[in-house]
Amino acid sequence: MLKKLGEALEYLGGARDAAPAEFSLKLASAWWGLWWGALLAAIWVFSGQSSKFIYIDF
Amino acid sequence: MIFNTAEYFLFFLLPAAILCRLVAPKARPWIIITFGILFFVYFSYYYLGGIVGAFCIAIFIWESIFSRLYKPGSALCWIGVLQALLVLVIFKYWNFLTGLIFGSQNPLAWNGAFLPLGVSFFTFEFIHYAVDRYKGKAERGAFGEYMAFILFFPTMVAGPIKRFQDFTPKLANPSTNWALDWNRGWTRILCGLLKKFAVADLLTSFTDNLTAEKIPHAHRWILPVWLLAYGIKIYFDFSAYSDIAIGSARLFGIGVPENFDWPYIRRNIAEFWNHWHISLYRWLVDYVFIPLGGSRVAPPRILGNILITMLVSGIWHGAGINFLVWGLWHGCLLIIHRLWSTAHQTGKIKFQIPGFISWALTFIAVNAGWSFFCMDMATARLFWRHLFGYA
Repeated sequence: MLKKLGEALEYLGGARDAAPAEFSLKLASAWWGLWWGALLAAIWVFSGQSSKFIYIDF
Repeated sequence: MIFNTAEYFLFFLLPAAILCRLVAPKARPWIIITFGILFFVYFSYYYLGGIVGAFCIAIFIWESIFSRLYKPGSALCWIGVLQALLVLVIFKYWNFLTGLIFGSQNPLAWNGAFLPLGVSFFTFEFIHYAVDRYKGKAERGAFGEYMAFILFFPTMVAGPIKRFQDFTPKLANPSTNWALDWNRGWTRILCGLLKKFAVADLLTSFTDNLTAEKIPHAHRWILPVWLLAYGIKIYFDFSAYSDIAIGSARLFGIGVPENFDWPYIRRNIAEFWNHWHISLYRWLVDYVFIPLGGSRVAPPRILGNILITMLVSGIWHGAGINFLVWGLWHGCLLIIHRLWSTAHQTGKIKFQIPGFISWALTFIAVNAGWSFFCMDMATARLFWRHLFGYA
């Protein structure tokens, strides 16, 4: 169950190419438009408090 | 900074990724080189080192030329390693090392010290190439291929640390599935940005309290919460960075190594290190641990090799005693884990730690270790004293 959840999150996050079995959001689906819209909206809400990435000074 | 700026996407990533896919294969490295140089000069000039920082592009040009001399078994490869280390020592450790010798009245202090963009990462790629050429593990490659390897801007600043022999075939034959690459690449970039803005940056309001001024006035039970916030923040911050780097490379059709694989759910410290900053850990294993003898020496020396490798990891993370202590902490944890595993394998210990307890111990140990990473030694000492009621 947890493994499936992890795989689904990786797929939603772009880290996995193929959707796990029983996961209905396929690559060609228009739902991706909504998902990207939601991500962009959330980024817009939270951006602006900009701090640098921790590892950049290394 | 950089990956969360509009200019990164508009002036560098989009044009470079599109051009790279449109031009003939022979021109591809030169597109990467051109944009890599522009990227380094632009961001160095505006963020790190100003005009002098921008001139550090000369390091890449020199490395590209000098690396042409490498041959299997040649001493020139070791000169290449030494000059990469010299760059790191001069820019990153000069004030730290001379300060250890001369103390606070350091006559050799470099007051205008700055770090060239990505110095810790590109020097590790230089060392990898020199060592692998010496051992005959990496082909020479064309001049343009090597320059494209070291100037591939999505991974130039903070990794993932690449290997030349993995990168060049992908550069020569990148994925041509635009639809899949751009879907996966952009999704990964957007998720990375969200992790950075919505989690890592938000936790700054907690982690900013980990200072010598604020710790003494805090209730001691809030201190672990702040430290835990730092543990979560550094994971989300660096994995977000890696997501954006890997997603950006994907837009070019080029796959680069993964850096994180759910490290905080791991049940022991060895597993943790196999899933945290993976490209660095593998570099350390290949270029520090194995050359020291790795696991093929007497047991006490194996433990010594583990400790030295983690001390190198510690000092690589920053020029300070606290980073050495952080490396020492993880070295000790890995040694304890190895002793425990060996005792288990030989049947000396039969007791099995339940999975949840094992996970909790690993999680607590890793997060306790962050105290030496995010605070200098005096502040970390104050933190622990106050937490246990001694301050």
